[in-house]
Amino acid sequence: MRAVVRFLSSGPSLLGLLLVGLFFAAAIAAPTLAPDYGAPDAPPGLQRAGRAIDRTPHPPSSTAPLGTLPGQWDVYFTIIWGTRAALRFGLGVAAGAAVLGTLVGLLSGYAGGLVHKLTMAVVDGFLTFPALAGFFLIERVVSFLPEAGGVIVGGIQADPLMLTLILFSWMPYARIISSSALRLKQADYIEASRALGARWTRVVFQHILPNVISPAFVLAARDVGGMVILSAAFTFIGVGASSPWGLLITIGRD
Amino acid sequence: MPPILRFILRRSLFIPLSFFVITATLFGILMLAPPEARAELYLPPRLPPNFTEEDFQRLIQIIIRDHGLDDPMPVQYVRWLSGLLQGDWGYSPALDGEILPSLLARVPATSELAIYTSLFFIPLGLVSGVLAARSRGRLIDSAFRLSAFIGTSIPPFILGLWLLSLFYVALRWFPPERLSQASGLFVSSSGEFTSFTGLLTIDGLLNGSPDISLDALRHLALPVLTLSLSHWATLGRLTRSSVLEEMERAYVLAARARGVSRSGVVWRHAFRNALVPSLNSTALSAASLVTGIYVVEVVFNFNGIAELVIRSVSASPDIGLATGFAVFSVLLVLPIMLALDVIQAVVDPRIREGVAS
Repeated sequence: MRAVVRFLSSGPSLLGLLLVGLFFAAAIAAPTLAPDYGAPDAPPGLQRAGRAIDRTPHPPSSTAPLGTLPGQWDVYFTIIWGTRAALRFGLGVAAGAAVLGTLVGLLSGYAGGLVHKLTMAVVDGFLTFPALAGFFLIERVVSFLPEAGGVIVGGIQADPLMLTLILFSWMPYARIISSSALRLKQADYIEASRALGARWTRVVFQHILPNVISPAFVLAARDVGGMVILSAAFTFIGVGASSPWGLLITIGRD
Repeated sequence: MPPILRFILRRSLFIPLSFFVITATLFGILMLAPPEARAELYLPPRLPPNFTEEDFQRLIQIIIRDHGLDDPMPVQYVRWLSGLLQGDWGYSPALDGEILPSLLARVPATSELAIYTSLFFIPLGLVSGVLAARSRGRLIDSAFRLSAFIGTSIPPFILGLWLLSLFYVALRWFPPERLSQASGLFVSSSGEFTSFTGLLTIDGLLNGSPDISLDALRHLALPVLTLSLSHWATLGRLTRSSVLEEMERAYVLAARARGVSRSGVVWRHAFRNALVPSLNSTALSAASLVTGIYVVEVVFNFNGIAELVIRSVSASPDIGLATGFAVFSVLLVLPIMLALDVIQAVVDPRIREGVAS
């Protein structure tokens, strides 16, 4: 409670909270803020506010509060609906990478020794890989799969770009968690817990995890924004088309 | 053997390991595609014009049999990797050429971007971080923190578009692409221009035509600026906080007590220790630097590797080229990482001696 009060009484944190809240509000209230007329030819997150053959961008009007692009794409609509797509994407990737990296880090740190060394070698290997090239390949491989356009993971249709970014961004989590777990393993209370006959799953998830997890939250918070920007950049240069914001900029440039 | 050489040798041993990890992963991804799709990797460069769909299917089946595309995965992996190592990267229909030579031809452009960007943002990031830490809480520090905040907030590709519309469309100072038309013609077809390094800024000087170098620099300015801003901001912030952390240490107080000047302590003691985490994080983000370079190449039509691959493949599912591009990217990142590791070892004896810090 005191932490909450202290947090709320600091100007910058309050401003940050307000901004984040604004994003979430826009994402949640998207259907009310920008009603979807269900245009058949529009990609997700885009909406025409006029006739497609009209190639001149129009200034703000009552139908398009922030004006339109060539082809009458409504800028305001995409900003609102793109927020929803961006939040879902950023949170999804950051959460996926954090969970994967934390698991790998915990297990390798707890195992220690050779396992830890080998895991770190794998981490270093993945760190040398630019995500763009990975996504470029996965996008191509996916187009050959029977369920083109998506990969089914556990019954859920997953965006290949999300999977790629998770696959190539879990390493920092694993690195940081693994080294803290390695150190924590020596602590007396861990040894005590083991002496009492606790199973390794209990030791790892009950005792080690809560004590090493906080840097993962910091990293994940940073990743949410970074991943959204990355996906918009990929969409913009024509690799994948999952970000409405990226599409908006592409149309605007053309 | 001097310790620094031993260090370089030890780090070089890590290169094949990374390469193995990443190629195995890529191959695993590749194996998700059915054999029929992968058979297209081995199609002959030109099919006869009267080739029917049935002939094509039969050819695919023959390729699958001949190349063992139904074999167990490890067998196929070893075969594929040994092909790569022997320089057999396959043929790309989208490029209408061999993959490896086509990629290699674009390396100078991409590395020129990488080199100038690194030469720009690393020194700038380090110096501004130290200056900000020295004047903590004062005007310079606030200005630095504000601009670093802006630098990390603007997506590079948007910044690139802004810069293009300001400095190219409006002012006509800095054009996109790698060379202007006249210089491009002179370099590629006059026969008087010898390519020594492939880096146009250097080759221009070596050929005694500094106008080419100047032209190349003019074209490099915007992409380098675009790439540098966010990396500068990240590095500068990290350097600032590391220097501040070092300034709290007892050895700084001891040095001040001995009568070392304030700036002497900052630069000779705190900065040297702060350099290691800063460079380390830069080395770890080498891959994202390369992704950034790829994006910027496309935004500025700068004809490097990614511009070639992304532009030519966007329509066709050219798996062979996509795989080649992925593997090649690792080969681009590894030297950058190694170089930054070596600089760290030069700065910090603990690293080159392999002492755990």
